[in-house]
Amino acid sequence: MEQKTLSVHLCGGCEISSSIDLEALAQIPEGAECSTHPCLCNDEGVGSLKSAIKSGANALVIAACSPRYKTDEFTFDKCFVERVNLRELVAWSHEPNDEDTQMMAEDYLRMGLVRARKAELPEPFDIPIDKTILVVGAGTTGIEAATQAARAGYEVILVEKNSDAGGWRRKFSRVFPDKPPYGQLTETNLSEQIAEIEQEERITLYTSSVVAGISGQPGQFDVDIRTNGDVNRVRVGAIVQATGWEPYDANKLTHLGYTDSADVVTNVEMEEMLAENELKRPSDGKPIKTVVFVQCAGSRDKEHLPYCSTVCCRVTMKQALRARELHPDLQAVVLYKDIRTPGQYEDLYRKAQDDGGILFTKGDVQSVKNGTDGSLSVDVRDTLLGEQIRLDADLVVLATGMVPVSADGEANRRYQDAQAVIEGGSTGAKLVAAQKTVAELEPYVSESILNLDYRQGRDTPVLKHRFPDSHFICFPFESRRTGIYNAGAMRAPGDTASSRSDGAGAALKAIQTVELAAQGKAVHPRWEDMSYPDFFFQRCTQCKRCTEECPFGVLDEDEKGTPQLNPTRCRRCGICLGACPERVISFKDYSIDIVSSMIKSVEIPDEFDEKPRLLGFICENDAYPALDTAGLKRLKHSPYIRFIPVRCLGSVNIVWIADAFSRGFDGVLLVGCKSGDDYQCHFIKGSELMGTRSDNVREKLTQLALEEERVRIEELSITEYDRLPEIINSFAEEIEEIGMNPFKGF
Amino acid sequence: MSEATAIQPDLEFAQEIVDSGGEDVRKCFQCATCSVVCALSPEERPFPRKEMIWTQWGLKDRLFSDPDIWLCHNCNDCSVHCPRGAHPGDVLAILRKLAVAHYSVPGFLAGWVNRPAMLPLMALIPGLLLALAVILRDPIASTFGLATHHGEGMQYANLFPHWLLIGFFSFFLGLAVLLAGVGAIRFWRAMKNADRTADRIESTNSLGSSFITVVKDILTHQRFSKCTSLAGRRLAHLTAFYGFLALFLVSGWAVIVLYVINPLAETPLPYPFPFLDPAKLFANVGALALVVGCVIAIRDRLKDRSETGRSTDFDWMFLWLLFFVGITGILTEALRFAQAQTPGYIIYFIHLILAFMLLIYLPYSKFAHLVYRTVALVYAEHSGRGIDNRSEQPAQ
Repeated sequence: MEQKTLSVHLCGGCEISSSIDLEALAQIPEGAECSTHPCLCNDEGVGSLKSAIKSGANALVIAACSPRYKTDEFTFDKCFVERVNLRELVAWSHEPNDEDTQMMAEDYLRMGLVRARKAELPEPFDIPIDKTILVVGAGTTGIEAATQAARAGYEVILVEKNSDAGGWRRKFSRVFPDKPPYGQLTETNLSEQIAEIEQEERITLYTSSVVAGISGQPGQFDVDIRTNGDVNRVRVGAIVQATGWEPYDANKLTHLGYTDSADVVTNVEMEEMLAENELKRPSDGKPIKTVVFVQCAGSRDKEHLPYCSTVCCRVTMKQALRARELHPDLQAVVLYKDIRTPGQYEDLYRKAQDDGGILFTKGDVQSVKNGTDGSLSVDVRDTLLGEQIRLDADLVVLATGMVPVSADGEANRRYQDAQAVIEGGSTGAKLVAAQKTVAELEPYVSESILNLDYRQGRDTPVLKHRFPDSHFICFPFESRRTGIYNAGAMRAPGDTASSRSDGAGAALKAIQTVELAAQGKAVHPRWEDMSYPDFFFQRCTQCKRCTEECPFGVLDEDEKGTPQLNPTRCRRCGICLGACPERVISFKDYSIDIVSSMIKSVEIPDEFDEKPRLLGFICENDAYPALDTAGLKRLKHSPYIRFIPVRCLGSVNIVWIADAFSRGFDGVLLVGCKSGDDYQCHFIKGSELMGTRSDNVREKLTQLALEEERVRIEELSITEYDRLPEIINSFAEEIEEIGMNPFKGF
Repeated sequence: MSEATAIQPDLEFAQEIVDSGGEDVRKCFQCATCSVVCALSPEERPFPRKEMIWTQWGLKDRLFSDPDIWLCHNCNDCSVHCPRGAHPGDVLAILRKLAVAHYSVPGFLAGWVNRPAMLPLMALIPGLLLALAVILRDPIASTFGLATHHGEGMQYANLFPHWLLIGFFSFFLGLAVLLAGVGAIRFWRAMKNADRTADRIESTNSLGSSFITVVKDILTHQRFSKCTSLAGRRLAHLTAFYGFLALFLVSGWAVIVLYVINPLAETPLPYPFPFLDPAKLFANVGALALVVGCVIAIRDRLKDRSETGRSTDFDWMFLWLLFFVGITGILTEALRFAQAQTPGYIIYFIHLILAFMLLIYLPYSKFAHLVYRTVALVYAEHSGRGIDNRSEQPAQ
């Protein structure tokens, strides 16, 4: 470790000097230069920082505004910078020139000084990075991803399991338009796009091929491509999975007559019939007078597909218009739950409505049965007038939804592990548990698509309805495997236009991955972070908690179970650090010791009645910005709390909580992102993991005869800044009621 | 749950609606804004939303047996507020036209009467009949000993003696009333059947009191006054209505004077009524009101009414006819006072043709609304769907 030379700078701007006694504060740093400046972020202020560096300082402590502001001004090459947030956290949110406010400022400065002394500047790892992009699936999305990546100058390997590229659009004689006027059906321009990928030198297309195996990490993925039995190994840097969709299995829709009559077809089969340019009754070849389209066939239905596939309404309109073009005497009836034509596609709806032969009516289709003279009889209930109606039809088209072509990597792995337990001859509770797991996971198990050689499973994890996990607003296209991006209908059901924009977006994400990996930097959300976890293996007990809990499958294991780091897979969330019971994992600028020392640096006044002390671990991603906003809005909170920003709630090691209580803190508040199905955790499982760990914490507290209410976890979204002071104050009140930490002063 | 209703989307019926100008019915996405904004719609089973759906479904019989299409007074609040431009007001107007054709006997006449192309033929028939009456005037008069000379100078009665005119019109008007009555009875039965099939209450108010309520409503134009989008229509309709009523009453009074009072009186009342006779004054005011009402209506309909109800031939034919009946009537009188013999007789003859067309074609033209709307209003009142029941009905 390089010798640290600290230089401390206090800023008086933005009301800081009118609220805090900076002269007194300047007495806190011992053995370090300390200066005060009325406005550190102006040229003169930044100049003073630069001259401090010039005269030998290699670590700056800047006590000014939140570290979320003025990052350009306060970033210096090869110099560690610790930001102490005096503005939002102290000056703006507390009584000016109050004793408690002053004590708070002093504590924050002490913590900053400790961190500046202990933390080191991260050094990026340096490994050879391959920048080739692998695109799995050459449908609408995959073609777009490959084309965009190639146009951006990257080599692309495009793998397609079918004998030709193009995907579903090969089957479509018409598509609904993706530009104005939205009422006109157009022919698919697939051949132009295929021609482009065939001519593009940077794209290598493997047809009739599958991915047999992927090992390694971003920038160093070794991919085995199997083509008719031959296996080719290629190296790529990042992967776009664009495996598309398949129609929902209409055989499960027995009430809609699919299994009983040849005249009940799916919208995909209708597409094939329309491609023949003539519609005939499939059962007897007779002409068709009436077609009934059943919307949401199995969709938005708890028994089948609980979600809306967004395209079926438009597909039906397209098919009805096309059928009417081919047979002007044909009458089409569309039975819908709700018509969903997003955006400009209202024009397509209007176009179909204006067609004299297409009738739209709302209702819930109860059954499709064989009627008289070979026609079908469709019973509809819950119509708008509340009555049941019955329609005769020559052809019934079921608008079935989209099912993602994905594999649940986690479920597959748990299933296989349980199978191994059963086959290994286990008995008793272990066997019962394994059998239960096998039975539970049976419906979710499928063949692997990516065949990842990852400890946590051979495919990306999925979240709801088999769609791969990713927070679609904050992190579009991201899977829980760094460098592997999901795009198109396998990510979320959508149309050609959305698939193409997905393909382009995922290709850009893949490019970011390889470019950042080449610089040893992290991808979103800890963008450009160069720190990475370091393992002190001598003390590792191979408990596997880190390999299990890492949300991104970063760590593999050797035979003994020792974690093996793949640094470019890492998102630097620190969840492994939080998980490790032996505390062997650390980052250069974020470690057990650094945070523990910060906790211990806080002055704890003895007289509880006057001044209790609370410690807050606050997630840097949403909760800390919310705290900043609360300060900006001048919302006051209890002056007894001291906050330590953490990378993620999941990175909080419970030893820190123990440290806090032994130091004499009276309560510990943890504020992080929302967990659950609609999680907002930037590292997916962090706040959820903290929830689990806190159960253990509470148990420990009880053992120590401490009230379990002394630890509280709160989940907050970034917009709920106004709730935050309330949370802090109510916690402070509760702790005051509970009383002093009995360990205080020991 | 009741039996499922078989729906046969009826391309022909749909085409009929479209041909009559109701193509926008397809644009309806059934949001019910129309029923919410309508001031006349009952709370239970409100119109016009259900009529829009039935029309889409092609439920012709149900639409024709629905009193609600006549409860609508075509003020077009619904069309103005429709977010989709489906024009429920227009659709209901077309349904009324089709309903008239549906119930009238013989039905084909409805097709003829309302088509401008058929106008010459429709005028030729009364023209020929009236000419025939003139030819047969003297033979009949001599056979039955009736007067053919009603005085010196210009006397319209010299062309059509009173007995001939009254006999002629009474006969055809009686026929028209009879045929309209048949249509009304068919309509009433259809409404009753529909309610019975649907298991609904058939009557709440007695027929007599329902009728009185409706007559009061008609005389005050209370329903019209609830319209907001086309508030001017009330004035036009009210004026034309009372003008027509005045003329109708004076005509009746003339018959009474000629054939009841004068034969019995010592000193017969002068006929034609002198200009200052109260009956004559009343009739002249009525004629003016009729013409003024028509002018207001025509002016309103000539404005851009793409949102507030478009006019069809069905509307125009009736309105212009009514207007010209009024105009030719006034002219006839004026020419008599001016003693302009030749133009007088010509205009008088034309007036008679037009009056014939107005009265005799009543069961088939838009004039039939007089019958069907009244019947529907009485039925609605009778079955508890009257406008006065609206606010009193508990919300459900």
